[in-house]
Order: sequence, then structure tokens, then C-alpha cells
Amino acid sequence: MTSPPALLPSRSPIAAIVLGWLIPGGGHAYGGQWGKAILFFSLICALMAAGMVIGGGTVILHYRLWFGAQLCAGGPTMALLPISQYFAASAPIDWANRFNEMGTLYTAVAGLLNLLVVMDAYLMLAHPQRSKENA
Amino acid sequence: MWDAAAGFFVCLVSPSNPLWLYYPLCAVVAVVYKATKSDDPRKIALGALHFFVSVSLGMLGLGLAFYVISQYL
Repeated sequence: MTSPPALLPSRSPIAAIVLGWLIPGGGHAYGGQWGKAILFFSLICALMAAGMVIGGGTVILHYRLWFGAQLCAGGPTMALLPISQYFAASAPIDWANRFNEMGTLYTAVAGLLNLLVVMDAYLMLAHPQRSKENA
Repeated sequence: MWDAAAGFFVCLVSPSNPLWLYYPLCAVVAVVYKATKSDDPRKIALGALHFFVSVSLGMLGLGLAFYVISQYL
């Protein structure tokens, strides 16, 4: 991360989008920016895991509007969805619980941050001459 | 007014209030956002710190203002 990374030749920006959607930071790893890839992966996955713990496990449910934001981090959301559904089926959800709201917010923000990261990975490969400092 | 402001801070540090969980969330948003804007770790760290402090203070000020107003309504 200290020096501008040498981008690997003939890398597809579309593949960066798909990889970044499946695995947070995957697009940056594909483009050769391993430092950023590890940073994004650890922060976004930590946010997802923290949201699940804070919200009592019932924060990723496909019938809620929040799911649209959570789905922007495709891999972690798909991995956590069955766990959330299991907890939702095993006990009634207290929708007024503020910790559940906070956990939902954590996972939704993690998804939206992954969208930002995916867009950054796409721009890194589609427009490598773009100056970061002027962005 | 000062009583209302003090009430806001008492409410904020209450264990049953999850608002303190906004701080780690804000810190992560700051780091990820700044990391997409720069490649230099020093600039990322300084930018994230600036982002975190300004957003936290801004939200705290806004929350305090709304809380005080709500006490007089």
C-alpha cells in the first residue's frame, strides 16, 4: 500500500466487480492491491459479524428492505442469510429492540461500503490513469 | 437548557442505549471511504481521523440540539 501498485495487465473490470461482490476486497486483490484487499475484507467482514452479534442473529432477512443494502456484500450476506433465517424461525423477533436495529444498520452499512469498494476496484482497472488524490 | 443538555449526555452513556455503537461504525466507514480515495497509508490514516472526528462531533452537536429542542416542545 505504500507505493502506487503496478496494476496487472489485461485484467477485466467486470471480473473485479464480480469478485468484489462475492468477496469484499476481492476486486482489489484481483487488481494486485493486496494491502487494500486485506483491509477491506477484514473491515467489511468484521462489520457484518458485529452486526449479527449485536442484532442477536436475526438481522439479514430477505423480506426486509434492508436486505437490498446488505446484498451489496453478496458473499457474506449469502453466507449469513441461512443463519439469520434459522434464528428467526426458532424464536419470535422483537422488532422494537434497538440492538436489533443497530445490528441491521451495521450489516446494511457493510453492504453499502462494499458497493463503494467494488466501484473503486472497477475504476482502478477501467481507468488506471485516474488520479486518486484528485478524486 | 443546561439541565436538558446534561440529560442528553446521561441518556447517551446509558448501557441500555445502543447509540455508542455508532462510533465503531463511523470509524470503519471513515477508514474504508478514505482508503478508496487514496493509496498513501499516512493520508488514509489522517483523512480517516479527520472524517471520524468531524462526523462524530457534527452528529453529537445535531443530537444535542434536537434533544434540547424536544425538551421544550
